[in-house]
Amino acid sequence: MNLELQHGSRSRILAAFLIGLMSIFVLRLFYLQIIQHGLYTRLANAEQLKRLTIPAKRGLIYALDGKTPVPLVMNQTVYTVFADPKITTDDEKIIDAIRDIAGGNARPKLKELLDKKSSRYQILATRISRLQADKIKAKKLKGIGFQEQTQRVYPEGSLAAQTLGFVNYEGKPSYGIESGLNKRLSGKDGLLQSVTDVSDVPLTIGDRNIDRPAVDGDNIVLSIDRNIQSRLEQALVDGLKRTGATRASAIAVDPNSGRVLAMANLPSYDPSKFFDVKDAAAFNNNVISTPYEPGSDMKTLTMATGIDKGVVRPEDTYVNTDSIQVDDRVITNAYKGQTGTITFQHALNWSLNTGFVTVAERLGDGNNITRQARDTMYDYFYNKFRLGQFTDIEVAGEAKGTIIPPTEADGNAVRYSNMAFGQGLDATMIQVASAFCPIVNGGYYYKPTVVAGVMDKDGKYITDKIKAPTQIIKESTANQVKEMTHIARSTFFASVDKSGFYVGGKTGTSQVIKNGVYSDDETVGTYLGYGGNSDRSEYVIMVQVSGDHMQMQGAMHAMPIFTDISNWMLDYLSVKPKG
Amino acid sequence: MSYQRSVAYTSRRQQNWSRNQNTVAFASSIKLGPVAHTVLVALMITVLGLIYLTQATKTTSYDYETSKIDDQIAELDKEKNDLQVENARLTALENIKKSSVASTMTAPTSTDYAQ
Repeated sequence: MNLELQHGSRSRILAAFLIGLMSIFVLRLFYLQIIQHGLYTRLANAEQLKRLTIPAKRGLIYALDGKTPVPLVMNQTVYTVFADPKITTDDEKIIDAIRDIAGGNARPKLKELLDKKSSRYQILATRISRLQADKIKAKKLKGIGFQEQTQRVYPEGSLAAQTLGFVNYEGKPSYGIESGLNKRLSGKDGLLQSVTDVSDVPLTIGDRNIDRPAVDGDNIVLSIDRNIQSRLEQALVDGLKRTGATRASAIAVDPNSGRVLAMANLPSYDPSKFFDVKDAAAFNNNVISTPYEPGSDMKTLTMATGIDKGVVRPEDTYVNTDSIQVDDRVITNAYKGQTGTITFQHALNWSLNTGFVTVAERLGDGNNITRQARDTMYDYFYNKFRLGQFTDIEVAGEAKGTIIPPTEADGNAVRYSNMAFGQGLDATMIQVASAFCPIVNGGYYYKPTVVAGVMDKDGKYITDKIKAPTQIIKESTANQVKEMTHIARSTFFASVDKSGFYVGGKTGTSQVIKNGVYSDDETVGTYLGYGGNSDRSEYVIMVQVSGDHMQMQGAMHAMPIFTDISNWMLDYLSVKPKG
Repeated sequence: MSYQRSVAYTSRRQQNWSRNQNTVAFASSIKLGPVAHTVLVALMITVLGLIYLTQATKTTSYDYETSKIDDQIAELDKEKNDLQVENARLTALENIKKSSVASTMTAPTSTDYAQ
């Protein structure tokens, strides 16, 4: 086509104008689309391409009811109700609705909150349920909005609170299993990257979409049996009432697997109201986090060491004078009068310190706690019974305790003479209870655990395999010490146990160190024992009671709590009596 | 519309016409100029564009459907979860202890063990 326009004609001018205009458009488009391509792509992506985090669901925590898992910690969606006072109109109606429906979850002084007309955001109620939120939504109140959040709920109330821990408002786990197994419980958030519309609805258009689903956290089944846990907690409450003590802790372990059946401390708290707790000490699980001098409970381990090394037998004798000299120190018995030539069984029955210092001496040259004796004791206490080291139990906040090795200056004969009857070392209750299990199960150390398995996606309970134990003492040693503790209990407390069962244990009364010296007015009472029939022990229970400026005794204050739980356990576990 | 032979077609093999061979070629009397061609191409591009837009919109409408169904699933999940929490609360140990059945239970006076 050949346009022939006359020079100066209007058509020619129009054509020139249009060509010029089009040239401007082309140049502008070239600038925007080619030169500024990167900038506008970024701006468009920022506006249209959204990266949405798909939050992983936090795993639930179950306890056992016999062999059936029951939920202890669950998730629930709750809502915060807020108002935009600038656009709310019928304030009276809003106040009535919130008060009627949210009840105790409504904020006080709602009128004052709604009168703040310069504000755009006022919280009227928190943590209301979905049903409550639906009722408020149905009223179609102008200027009212809802924020959704997930919170942990505890169907069993405060049961096993210190073992569970809690998740705070920022979603941060604190204490207990929540913190100890946070990685497993929290799962992994997913990612959705997509072009969205104005309402943030993801659209499939675009070539940079990512849809990575969230991996929910594990649903963990604890080895805690809710019935045993409840009974243990009740026994502690009753024990505190009876004794006047202000603090108590207890643990029940299956000695044939290392699984913790129950673990409790008083005072406790309600994890759903963790924010109401005034003293943070209530959050601590003292069974695992508070090392103490175990006192006479340790005599069972000293005796096991002596028997295992072949230097003593329960029926062997020594001369008890109620005191014994070790280097520059004189060690005396707490219970005096059992003097003369007595057996080590007798020494255990009466919890005589001199008897166990003698065992320590016999591990050496017979008269002194030599380096060889101390090395042997350290090997047994630290390496075999694993006192003074982490058990790696899954609950957060575990303390290590202290066993001073003989290689250090403080690891001298005086210290090791004290360690023979439970002083001069620090251990936690979980360490002591776990160390005692080999004595009642034939010599095998099981690593303690509170995890029994997981619930899979289909709600099926899958149990963890029990980790292979380590034989740390001979079976004959274990059986002899077990029998010794059975006799020790039977000597004084035979009538308190159900007949036909095989129950044993050892009392402990520990002095408390305050400001570096032993306190004169405070002791901790403990009882460490087991129960079952003559063929097999089904449980090990350790109880501890204490209070500021209170002298608690193992036999008088802790032992009855053990007996209370032990007799109930025999029924609950359907243990058959023998003989 | 009728066509008539407008061009005499003579090929080199013309002398040997066989049966069923086209012996005529039609030439349309309608002539399309450059403007008409441009308009037709523009129309084709427009139609193709519309088809593309229809398909893209159709996919997007599925996104809205998906989003709606996802919301429904999420809502039902919440309802199910609420019911599970309620069930757990009702079967909690404290509730069982306080139940009328539990309150009428008594401790056995003696126990016999099956051998």
